[in-house]
Amino acid sequence: MISLEEFHLIRDYIEKHCGIYLSDEKVYLVETRLTALMFEQGCKSFRELYQKAVLDRTHVLRDKIIENITTNETYWFRDLHPFGILDEVLFKHYADEITAGRKDKIRIWCSACSTGQEPYSIAMTFREFMRENHRLRPDHIEITASDISSTVLFIGKMGRYDNLSMSRGLSEEFRDRYFVRGDKVWTIKDEIKQMVKFQKLNLQENFHHLGRQDIVFCRNILIYFSTEFKQNILRRIASLLRPNGYLFLGASESIIMYTQEYEMLRHAMGLYYQIKQNEEKHHAYSVR
Amino acid sequence: MRILSVDDSAATRQFIKKAVDVLGFEFLEAADGREGLEILKRENGRIDLILLDRHMPVMDGMAMLEELKADDKLRMIPVTMVTVEVERAEIQRAIACGAKNYLIKPFTQENLIGKILEGLNIAP
Ligand SMILES: C[S@@+](CC[C@H](N)C(=O)[O-])C[C@H]1O[C@@H](n2cnc3c(N)ncnc32)[C@H](O)[C@@H]1O
Repeated sequence: MISLEEFHLIRDYIEKHCGIYLSDEKVYLVETRLTALMFEQGCKSFRELYQKAVLDRTHVLRDKIIENITTNETYWFRDLHPFGILDEVLFKHYADEITAGRKDKIRIWCSACSTGQEPYSIAMTFREFMRENHRLRPDHIEITASDISSTVLFIGKMGRYDNLSMSRGLSEEFRDRYFVRGDKVWTIKDEIKQMVKFQKLNLQENFHHLGRQDIVFCRNILIYFSTEFKQNILRRIASLLRPNGYLFLGASESIIMYTQEYEMLRHAMGLYYQIKQNEEKHHAYSVR
Repeated sequence: MRILSVDDSAATRQFIKKAVDVLGFEFLEAADGREGLEILKRENGRIDLILLDRHMPVMDGMAMLEELKADDKLRMIPVTMVTVEVERAEIQRAIACGAKNYLIKPFTQENLIGKILEGLNIAP
């Protein structure tokens, strides 16, 4: 078994490099998820694995450790409400701005996109909105999807899903409209695929190169982070958002304890957050 | 790419097949080591990766791995060992014997796709 001392080395390493905090009950998780990697890397102990990771400047080993620890659970239109809010409130609002010539495009960042279900659900929601609002075109929206794991991004970029993944949250109507049926898997149509740009990004690192966003999805990821890291990320997202920008969290997540920078809004049964105006001027970052 | 799954559990083979389908690769299967070796002979070694269950009747994963590594025509095919328990000595032995990597059950489709890409030396 992994010793407590080794566990603490690995735990601190993981927290430092991806923000995920593992409590002492997670000893077993580290043992089961990383033992194989330890031997694959030719190490005889977790201490050796840790030392090898620290010395590895390519970050290949770091990324493997992180991939083994993360949970990628996701599905189509998860929690439903965010997509209802996009359709009924936010897209409507931005469509008026665009047609009045006050806005170019809606910029959305999906910040822990896993295998693509979340950003593609946003893209499908926009396509549906376009069916009723003929003034809008696909290039009126820009969806950036990012994750720390190269493997989930690879799957998202392929846009290929088996029947089980397809059955989770996707209506038959949307499936038939936006996917092509193969003999074994379903592939998302190019009209949706082209609306989403995937890129590898660690929330622990600076993300200002993404440019200012109207809406950020940061769902079912903060729960894994320590309080300080949650606060840190929420602050950095606040400075990335455009004035009046919006933030979506997972259904079971709340940020009230961590920040005062957002105002909680309600629509139907769903919650979302808007950046408070007066906080904006305190941010040092320049507007792009 | 052609992936061979050698596993006595039909459910596991089915699970692996799904991931291989998502990747768009070809899938072949065998229920034990003997059958696995027969397929390799039949296919003239034209397999790009073997996912090999550790515990099986007739011929288990370790025995098949040893035969593969002793065969000049087959030794280059990367092998991913699959097992239920984290048995340090076992894992160490399989890696020493030439297995490329190890997959511990239960695993998700993403874990599996990650290991398949790693086994094939494809950077995702
Ligand atoms: C549970 S999934 C949530 C997926 C999606 N947002 C949803 O709600 O369905 C969490 C994702 O966060 C990613 N992740 C974990 N730590 C991260 C980090 N530091 N930076 C970026 N992504 C991270 C994981 O790889 C995983 O794909």
